[in-house]
Amino acid sequence: MDRALFQQEMIRSEIAEIVGEEYVSTRESDRLVYSTDWSWMPQMWLDRGKPLMTPDIIVHPGTPEEIAELTFVANKYKIPIVPWGGGSGTQGGALPMFGGILLDTKRMNRILEIDEVSLTATAEAGIIIQQLEWAVNERGLMFPHYAASSNCATLGGALAPRGTGTMSTKYGKAEDLVLSMEVVLPTGEIINTAPVPQHASGPDWFRLFLGSEGTFGIITKATVQLDYLPEARYMRAVLFKDMNAALEAGRRIMTRRLDPFVIRLYDHESTRTRVRKILGYEFDGSYMVIGFDGDPDIAKLQQQKALDICFELGAEDLGEEPGEKWWNHRYDFYYPPINLKLPWMYGTTETVTTYDKIQGVYYAIKEAVEGGFKEWNVRWIGHFSHWFHWGVMLYSRFIIEEPPQDAQEALRLHNRVWEAAMTAAIENGGMINEHHGVGVKLGRYMRRQFKDAWPFLLRLKDAIDPNHIMNPGKTGF
Amino acid sequence: MALENVILTVENCRYCLMCRHVAPVEKVTHRETLSPHGWALLIASQRRGLIDWNEDTVDAIYSAPDHGNSRVHCVTDQPLPEAIAAVRAEIAEQNLGPPIIYEINEALSTYGTPYATEEPGRISGQGEDALYVGDEAPYLWPRALEAAITLLRAIGVTPVTVGVGRSNGYLASSLGFPGTAARLARANLVDIREAGASRVIVLSPGDAFAFGQLWYERLGIDWPEDVQLVELVTLLDDRLAAGALRFSQARDDRPYAYVDPTHAIRVKDRHDRPRRLVEAVMPGKRVELLYRRERAHPVGSTALQFTKPDIAEKLTRARIEDAVSAGAQVLITEDPGTLYHLSRYAKEYGVEVAGLYELLAAHLARGRL
Repeated sequence: MDRALFQQEMIRSEIAEIVGEEYVSTRESDRLVYSTDWSWMPQMWLDRGKPLMTPDIIVHPGTPEEIAELTFVANKYKIPIVPWGGGSGTQGGALPMFGGILLDTKRMNRILEIDEVSLTATAEAGIIIQQLEWAVNERGLMFPHYAASSNCATLGGALAPRGTGTMSTKYGKAEDLVLSMEVVLPTGEIINTAPVPQHASGPDWFRLFLGSEGTFGIITKATVQLDYLPEARYMRAVLFKDMNAALEAGRRIMTRRLDPFVIRLYDHESTRTRVRKILGYEFDGSYMVIGFDGDPDIAKLQQQKALDICFELGAEDLGEEPGEKWWNHRYDFYYPPINLKLPWMYGTTETVTTYDKIQGVYYAIKEAVEGGFKEWNVRWIGHFSHWFHWGVMLYSRFIIEEPPQDAQEALRLHNRVWEAAMTAAIENGGMINEHHGVGVKLGRYMRRQFKDAWPFLLRLKDAIDPNHIMNPGKTGF
Repeated sequence: MALENVILTVENCRYCLMCRHVAPVEKVTHRETLSPHGWALLIASQRRGLIDWNEDTVDAIYSAPDHGNSRVHCVTDQPLPEAIAAVRAEIAEQNLGPPIIYEINEALSTYGTPYATEEPGRISGQGEDALYVGDEAPYLWPRALEAAITLLRAIGVTPVTVGVGRSNGYLASSLGFPGTAARLARANLVDIREAGASRVIVLSPGDAFAFGQLWYERLGIDWPEDVQLVELVTLLDDRLAAGALRFSQARDDRPYAYVDPTHAIRVKDRHDRPRRLVEAVMPGKRVELLYRRERAHPVGSTALQFTKPDIAEKLTRARIEDAVSAGAQVLITEDPGTLYHLSRYAKEYGVEVAGLYELLAAHLARGRL
């Protein structure tokens, strides 16, 4: 008797009774496709012709009630539920590490309300972000989470790992744009957070689900903040010979609250390689794009003030065209074959820290990666893309063009490079990430990152998900 | 498509998710597998020996719409639909395809169409202007053909008809039978040559795509350089803009939507033309589908109507639901296949389907221009 098959069919039948036969699959094709997300590790594994860990059952629930029923099944049989939005995570957050039920949320994709008075939209969490954007654009509005993954990621997928979009510097991260959520807990309760996020009614438990990457529950619905489509959008580019001067310019622009919606600063190496390849510019220095939007008069004035700061710090004005071109092609960086792709080894070792530490973090990670892996001809590039009043995010990436061919050896090297970068970040006051999530890749660093607070998080996990069914192996749990 | 190009394309697309927002089949099935990256990953995995072509995996490959949304929205113009068609050809040749594709291929080989059991008609004569009739107009929506000829006469064009009842080759190519597709293409070319036409007018963007792109990309057949290929909506819109064509207003002030027909996204810069024509006749409010113009989805008039009728139906219903939610009560388009499929379900939603050519022909302004 094939015991595993017997068990699988018993569970599959039970799940089919909940969601309907059409929405449950054990097909080979589905199990293969859902075995890998956008992260390098599983892609490399498949690239080398090696099978991955696959989900046992793929489910497309249509309601939170169905998800609640699924949690009862998972708790009964002690099998994992792995939430899946767009599968666009770069840290393996949606990988079914231990098999089980892969729960694709994309069937729950309705827009429930667009409130043109309060400027909010309420939608089911499985909606593709760009599709939500198109819908609100019809009313002259925008959902200002313009992420590189907007074409493929879901709303829930933006919230669960605390994603960031291109315009976060003005409009905030995904976590700042959400007012309320409906969540199905691992124990099957369907709960709603308060209707607004800013209040004083007790602790801010609402935020527990932001960044939990499905380990504390599944976000099924969210009300998010919208904005009017801007009347004007002004883009400008400048070039700094000295990247540190550019960082200082960005700091002054932010701390003086000039409110750019984007500042994108590429380091010299990134300017020399990626900017040249994608945009076709041959600049020698650090290329910085600054954007202002909204009321034309105000935006123009803000832009002038920001440019004055840049010029005072030695920037060369590149004009509007290199700024506009960047804006119009900002996602081109992610299209094959011009993106970072196999057979290369690559990884985004992003971090975020305060302005006083950012240079230290930048050079520490650069030295750790470039110095530590010379024999692999590693390249390390970085740009600063999400700016806050207090600090900035460093989006750094390493590239090894000729990695080991053996899959296990390649994965080991990948982890070693990451270890060097994360150690350098943590030791110099940086975080292990800013918006790409933790997933399986960074889970091991959570204890080091949070030190004495980590046991508290473990107790929270035990309380919320006593059988640890939700997305096991992720965010350190 | 050459094997090395298939491999290059699927290697590029297998982990790229950047066209999901316009992927029609994934939108109606919600299955990641039935998305451009899913198809590419299956093909790449089959080549690596991770999967075989079996009933399940072949079913997935034959669930691709071959509608070009992925390619049109790809910054680097990855020809994934062409790669999938090439892989289907491999599958079909190995007799691993679904049984229905062999039946359709037999019909296409015998009659030039899956919609009838009679051989294609002869060309109607000789002349500079030829109207390509194809098989969808006569067998699925004959009114469009009559109206098109009326409209052409109104602008001083008396076309000969070619390709009467014969497919343009798209369906055979999409199902994985490039040989059949090439034979159909060549037979249509013979018609055009025998007619002595220097201009071929087509009724739909699907024909424009087949003749202008599919033939040379998938079949290696060039459209003749000395023959102009033009959509009827282009001709009519040009005449309308020049004041050489006028229409009376319809007595119908219901809100309406122009439905970009199947394959419209594959033809650049066409989207305003049919809209201007509709506006010349319809006095009501024009509403727009959310999935319109460059992001328009197909109805079930692709090969999916044969290989995956359930998906074809979902696609068609999704178009109608999109229009209904925009407030449309009348759906207008020109492509016979799109009209046929929309009309199968429209009544359930309380909306009416109207052919653009019939609408225009019925409201031709009389008298001197």
